[in-house]
Amino acid sequence: MSGTGHTVKSYEEEMQSLNDNLVMMGSLTENQMADAMAAVIKVDKESVDKIVKNDGKINELRSTIDNQITTVLVKRAPMAVDLRITISTMKISHDLERIGDLAKSVAKKVKPLPVDLPNELIGSLRRLGDLVQKQLKDALDAYLNRSKDKAIEIWKKDEQVDDLTNLAMNEVATYLQKDKKNLEMATHLLFVTKNIERAGDHITNIAESLYYLIEGEYLEGARPKGKPVES
Amino acid sequence: MELNNSKIKIKAKNLNVYYGKKQALFDINLDINQKEVTALIGPSGCGKSTFIRCINRMNDVIDICKVEGSVEIDGAEINEKNVDVVTLREKVGMVFQKPNPFPKSIYDNIAYGPIIHGAAENKDQMDNIVETSLKKAALWDEVKDRLNEPGTSLSGGQQQRLCIARALSVNPEVILMDEPCSALDPIATAKIEELIDDLKKSYTIVIVTHSMAQAVRVSQKTGFFHLGKIIEVDSTDKIFKNPANKMTQDYITGRFG
Repeated sequence: MSGTGHTVKSYEEEMQSLNDNLVMMGSLTENQMADAMAAVIKVDKESVDKIVKNDGKINELRSTIDNQITTVLVKRAPMAVDLRITISTMKISHDLERIGDLAKSVAKKVKPLPVDLPNELIGSLRRLGDLVQKQLKDALDAYLNRSKDKAIEIWKKDEQVDDLTNLAMNEVATYLQKDKKNLEMATHLLFVTKNIERAGDHITNIAESLYYLIEGEYLEGARPKGKPVES
Repeated sequence: MELNNSKIKIKAKNLNVYYGKKQALFDINLDINQKEVTALIGPSGCGKSTFIRCINRMNDVIDICKVEGSVEIDGAEINEKNVDVVTLREKVGMVFQKPNPFPKSIYDNIAYGPIIHGAAENKDQMDNIVETSLKKAALWDEVKDRLNEPGTSLSGGQQQRLCIARALSVNPEVILMDEPCSALDPIATAKIEELIDDLKKSYTIVIVTHSMAQAVRVSQKTGFFHLGKIIEVDSTDKIFKNPANKMTQDYITGRFG
């Protein structure tokens, strides 16, 4: 994992397995996010149960990774890059797990939505979902390639996530103003939007952990922020 | 972590050491800060013990050993011909890997140095030195009722603290420790580490250790030696979290060779 392998082969295998599990977790989370977004956009109520069920797999992997990390800490007392990989993997796995939870929450909101969701509300939501999915994919690729530059790029791009969130929320609010009987649907959509935005925040956490893993230093300065979300 | 605020106690400059034809140290340049713990790490045979033996001229006793270059303590060269090595070793004490108490009583182990250096004028003064030294080494409470028993009757950890007390009895300024815990169990090790932490308030300490965890726990600065060369010196925090040199990283993460 760092050019030369560990002298102790089992240590090498433990670190490799940790890496494999995190990659697997990332890939499942990516799928969950994609499925949840598709379910919302298409108001596909039938896919919801499957998405909710699949979240369990992500949680299981998180527990597995937690156990593996405890073992590595106890057995190996990792130093330098190994220490940074161990700590970052723990943090990233927790962020992925939270993203998984948020995808599940998004999916659960599909059930109470009307099947004929007005088109004017879907546009911004779709763009927000696409951007967050792209961010997640980029973050996982950056992790695999140990790309510091990509990590910084993702971190900075969260501003766009915030801006799109504002836009989507404003559209829902405007729609609600037209007719108060849209209240229930609007509330669900606001939650969906907010959850996607929060998934975006966890992705920037991943970028921060990755930067620390590579550089041994923390990303400095405040993250650029879009206009505050009115919720 | 800022390294340059502390006063330099020991300065090695272009230090080269040879055992016969074999060169053991190559152009070592290393500053050791006052009242701080400096840890030296590196694989066996990398020259870290040879280096600390240069600080109190212990290599003088090896016929085939030749030392070139400079070691200054408080700015004064210790390799000058007119330097009295007995006085030097009074100032620079040493503790070894295996506890090596004299085959004498606990009391006499401590009194031996002060007697040689004429540090006490009477029994009261000597009693005082013995008590103070044992207290500084956190051993007094365990041995105060058995000072006449042989030093070798103590446990390994106690013997090592006795050796530290013996080094302290002549009021040194520097204490060199060559793997002082490698023969000790974890509890005895913890006691020595606790002691090192306490002693650094008054003494400059250089410790050679094979335990990375120990280097992290006890030292503020760490130097990594490999094949007789210094590869990297930095704050201990930096060395073990994010070393600059790949060789250092490979060594401390167990990727060597």
